[in-house]
Amino acid sequence: MNQKNNLIVGIIIALVVVASYNVDANPLDFVEGLPNLAIVAEEMTQVDAELFGTAFWSMLETIQMAFIGTMVGVVISLPLSMIAARNLNSKFVYGPVRAILAAIRTFPSILWAILFVIMVGLGPFAGVLAIIMYTVGFVTKLQYESIETIDSDPMDAVSSIGVSKWQMIRYVVLPESAPHLLSQMLYMFDYNIRQTSILGLVGAGGIGFYIINYIKFFEYGKAAVFMIVVLITVLIFDWASVKIRDKYIIKSQHGMEVNAN
Amino acid sequence: MNDPSTLSVISTKKIIQMNNVWTSYDSKSYALEGINLSIDKGTNYAIVGKSGSGKSTLLKLMNGMMTPSKGTIKIDYQTPNMNDKKFKLLMHKIGYIPQSLGLIKNITVLENILIGALPRLGKIQSMFKIFPEEEIQEAKNILKLVGLSGKEERKAYMLSGGEKRRVAIARALMQKPTILLADEIVSELDHVTARDIMNLILDAQKRMNLTAIMVHHDMQLALEYANRVAVIKEGKKILEIGVEGEKIIDFQTGDLTSQEILEMYSDESKK
Ligand SMILES: Nc1ncnc2c1ncn2[C@@H]1O[C@H](COP(=O)(O)OP(=O)(O)O)[C@@H](O)[C@H]1O
Ligand SMILES: [Mg+2]
Repeated sequence: MNQKNNLIVGIIIALVVVASYNVDANPLDFVEGLPNLAIVAEEMTQVDAELFGTAFWSMLETIQMAFIGTMVGVVISLPLSMIAARNLNSKFVYGPVRAILAAIRTFPSILWAILFVIMVGLGPFAGVLAIIMYTVGFVTKLQYESIETIDSDPMDAVSSIGVSKWQMIRYVVLPESAPHLLSQMLYMFDYNIRQTSILGLVGAGGIGFYIINYIKFFEYGKAAVFMIVVLITVLIFDWASVKIRDKYIIKSQHGMEVNAN
Repeated sequence: MNDPSTLSVISTKKIIQMNNVWTSYDSKSYALEGINLSIDKGTNYAIVGKSGSGKSTLLKLMNGMMTPSKGTIKIDYQTPNMNDKKFKLLMHKIGYIPQSLGLIKNITVLENILIGALPRLGKIQSMFKIFPEEEIQEAKNILKLVGLSGKEERKAYMLSGGEKRRVAIARALMQKPTILLADEIVSELDHVTARDIMNLILDAQKRMNLTAIMVHHDMQLALEYANRVAVIKEGKKILEIGVEGEKIIDFQTGDLTSQEILEMYSDESKK
């Protein structure tokens, strides 16, 4: 048994070494590169405070893009997740929808952004569309999974009354999955702010546009201003969403557990 | 052979009839084996048996949620079929309270009760949760009847076990049912609360001329409240008795007192 484990660890190490050779990942380069980092770090301390105003407004744009993308994405996800839930539809309905969703999820948001820049041109709208696609791919999956975990007892009890499918969705599925949806929305918004911050790299709007351009021209001090603003914003939203989740969402989910007697 | 229905002298409306019903969840075994029964309209019927004997399965056949693999079932002279519009109308009038109650935890007591009125609500109204004033009034009346006045805005998950049962009963009554099916809804309650709830159902049953079919774990409770008691063992109906006050009319073993029946079948109702 132990011998077998040793063998597996040995094989994994060998694979990492071979792969590193193939992709030319030499640890020595990393060590030699450290002084470069020091130079960048030093230049970054030359923060150009005048730029904080611009950074603030472009961060605000980023947040708004993430907000629109999250909300529209969630609204599209809702009906899609009802169609994709196994406990609400037959294989022939949920099968194809799930396949399309899986395909959507294979693209990272930056790839969607490139696609939409080609489609609608440079600017924040392309970024918003990219965030929508990404959100739809993920929230639909999270949502249909939480619909599938809904207790089957209320559904059975209500369906035995002979109600319509719409009534079932409106009066059982939605209220039972709402706490999950809220926490998914928060999580996604938080995540989308980070994602949107880099969409500017491909010209799809947001604060990333400034960061990539200052870096291109070796103006690390200016880039640093924007990076600091991103960092602070992400920390604030991270903290706030934890607070909101604790205060409102955990409470109602706890209630669901209490009832599962 | 000893089908009690053949012995009844006065012919009344048969609300539920089962003829040699077999049913299974998988291909390996049967959960019910050759059940024959016939329930008169307005009866207070009890089904008693050990856990796993097939009581819940029997109830699920009575509201059309399950279909038999063999044999025939007639509910109000109709064959259950969830895709049949006419049977759907009948389902609207069958109040079913599962063992787990099936309340929706994150909505209020009043909203849970109003679910019983959904069959009477139009498409647009249901989308926007617009209930007519008289339905809301009706729900409040029922709420009062089951002793939950003042708790209408409480979320269902915040209620006690007894209160949850009252909500589930209220939801069923909101359907304006002709048949009430209840699956061991008082088994987990203390003696006093269990009897409160049973009295509540008995009142409603008499007032609305309901046919109540209730599954019990406890033979004592069945004898106390029902007019007829069927005992199920390993998927078969082994006994059906009529109860008249203290006297038991047993079609198989002759007349016995409830005490004697209790002694004979007390092990049947034990886990
Ligand atoms: N959903 C199910 N899937 C498979 N078997 C089931 C299911 N529900 C019940 N059974 C089986 O059917 C038999 C009767 O169960 P049930 O009607 O729930 O009994 P009771 O209500 O008397 O405790 C048992 O053997 C049980 O294991
Ligand atoms: Mg049961």
